[in-house]
Amino acid sequence: MKTFEEKWTTWVDGQLSGRELAEFEASLPDKAAAEAEKAEARKLGKLLKNELGVRALTNEEFFSHQLREKIAQEQASRRFPGRRTETSTWWTIPRLLWTGTVSIAVFVICTVLVMHEKNPSEESQYLTQILNARVDPVVSPNATVSMFEVKQDRVTVLWTEGLQSLPADYAAK
Amino acid sequence: MQTEATPAQADVSELDLVKRCQAGDTEAFDELVTRYRTRVFSMIYNMVHNEQDAWDLAQDSFVKAWKSIKRFRGHPSFYTWIYRIVMNVTIDWLRKKHVKGAGTEFDDAIQLRVDPASKTVPKTEALPYEMMERDEIRARIEQAIAQLSPEQRAVVLMKELEDMQYHEIAEALGCSIGTVMSRLFYARKKLQTLLRDVYENI
Repeated sequence: MKTFEEKWTTWVDGQLSGRELAEFEASLPDKAAAEAEKAEARKLGKLLKNELGVRALTNEEFFSHQLREKIAQEQASRRFPGRRTETSTWWTIPRLLWTGTVSIAVFVICTVLVMHEKNPSEESQYLTQILNARVDPVVSPNATVSMFEVKQDRVTVLWTEGLQSLPADYAAK
Repeated sequence: MQTEATPAQADVSELDLVKRCQAGDTEAFDELVTRYRTRVFSMIYNMVHNEQDAWDLAQDSFVKAWKSIKRFRGHPSFYTWIYRIVMNVTIDWLRKKHVKGAGTEFDDAIQLRVDPASKTVPKTEALPYEMMERDEIRARIEQAIAQLSPEQRAVVLMKELEDMQYHEIAEALGCSIGTVMSRLFYARKKLQTLLRDVYENI
């Protein structure tokens, strides 16, 4: 059973015949309007055909040449599927894992080297401790006095910690 | 459907070419491409309205045809078979473009001017004002077609430009004949509304 749209289309295209045509035309509420619309549809078809028509390729030979190359590539990749995999999928999962592992290893090696250079047991190039003494334990039990010297700049630094008051005999004279 | 050679000659040699293609003969395929490239390009151009896109889609269609030519059994005709590939490629592309463009493609995101480098195969040399008028009419038609869905475009162009039968269009689009008729009905209605002033004044 055809729908109205299907019958209408075949009627416009002149492909309804016999009893089907008679039944369809009898079912139209306004035959004159339908005929006018049919004529319009034909004008539309003519317009499309005349104005769109065939659009020529500007460079037909180049089109075929480009296509031949693509097909040759396609054939080559079929003959050598291994090569195709190698070229087309650069970042495979194993490759990513391998790259990640190498990156982590390089990072760890660099970190170890840097930490090794910063070993506190090595003598500083700029600061040398020349005194580390305790103040009188009766006056200031937790106090310490340290002296550092910067050789290059000829500077001496006095560092005191936990000193509650300066003992009288420490006073500058 | 229009063919360049007589139907019998075209069918015999075409089948022969197809058989050679199936045996891996690229020259035979080249011959088939030469026969159909203009019509394939033209059909795609009328659907996408952009020369470069039409070129790329025509290339993709022929490459797909080459890849699957061994599966072609001679029915329907090679022409209908290649059209099926062309329509799949083009409709898929239009759908993807529509999704990417968030619905703007079917309104006005199309080139309205005709590329001066392209040819429209005029029957006679037109005067400048006539050419301008034709360009304008063509732009109006392209705008109207751009408002149809990809499937409606395909149906109306295959019917009106290629004179294909309903069953051929149905085979090319992989749908029923009823669907073809129904799409044609709505496509024509829409185009009549949009282009009435154009075809009434010519």
